[in-house]
Amino acid sequence: MHELGVASEILDVALAEAGRHAAKKVTSIRLRVGVLRAIEPENLSFLFEHLARGTPAEGALLEIEEEPVRVECEACGVSEAPSFTVECPRCKGTGVLLTGGDSLSILSLDVDA
Amino acid sequence: MWYPARMGPGGNVRIDVERSIMQSADEAAAAIRALLSERKIYALNLISSPGSGKTTLIEALLSRFEGKGGIAVVEGDIETEIDAERIRKHGVQVRQINTRSSCHIQPSRLLSVLREMDLSATRLLLVENVGNLVCPAEVPLGEDARVVLLSVTEGDEKPLKYPLVFKTSGLLVITKTDLLPYVTFDVDRVRRAARAANPAVEIFEVSATTGAGMSALLDRIEALRATKNG
Repeated sequence: MHELGVASEILDVALAEAGRHAAKKVTSIRLRVGVLRAIEPENLSFLFEHLARGTPAEGALLEIEEEPVRVECEACGVSEAPSFTVECPRCKGTGVLLTGGDSLSILSLDVDA
Repeated sequence: MWYPARMGPGGNVRIDVERSIMQSADEAAAAIRALLSERKIYALNLISSPGSGKTTLIEALLSRFEGKGGIAVVEGDIETEIDAERIRKHGVQVRQINTRSSCHIQPSRLLSVLREMDLSATRLLLVENVGNLVCPAEVPLGEDARVVLLSVTEGDEKPLKYPLVFKTSGLLVITKTDLLPYVTFDVDRVRRAARAANPAVEIFEVSATTGAGMSALLDRIEALRATKNG
């Protein structure tokens, strides 16, 4: 249920931005979510839908762009992985450094002016 | 701040936002960091599953540094004052945060608690987060370091299942090592996965029951504290 806090924060930002642009309705919200965040998109959308009821963001669609983990392998360079890993997805080597995959950002909103 | 707006498909307007979803939490965490820095207090955020030994580690620190003063504790739990009562017996300043519907301590909540506490003699602040490996990992509390605890009865796959907390913790404490003969737990597997998540992680193996490894851990925490306030 940790998506509840995230959903609530998304709604706060969406309503503030919509208000600032004098928008009547928020129709969709684009997000970037890193795979390490353990966010379940369906659960996030479900909770957001509930929280947004009766607000200008009611019915807004959450469009979630997943951010993969960036794997730097000693042997074969940089690649991406869809989840946490202790080995290189290409050569299976274990000399890897992981970066990224922890984004949790709102990219943009589509609103009806 | 005014963000650029542009026309999107269907005549709607697209507003570029590009901001962290955690921004308000991050702002509260920054305020905590400023408060701690001004008062030269070293803060640890203790994170683990329920029952891995967070409160026991705090008690060990309190026993070790008893009489020296300077330690304050904030306990986070969904319900009850049980942990705070346990800590209060050691005669230190302790506050309990009951998070109710929230599965982690919110930085705004911690900030208001810290503002109410008398921290004039405090050198080390121990924050025991709500017991789980997911949500507390996502929400920085302005701490100097995170300590993630993993007991050997939980299984050695936890760093693979909950990578974020292992990626963001400076110290990993493997607890209840006296039970290793009775459980299937590959310490090296945990070490490898934790290092992949955070190459700089410092790993300790301890048993509060036998005392094994405890003094190395307590010494290290004391040394870390001293880096901030001598």
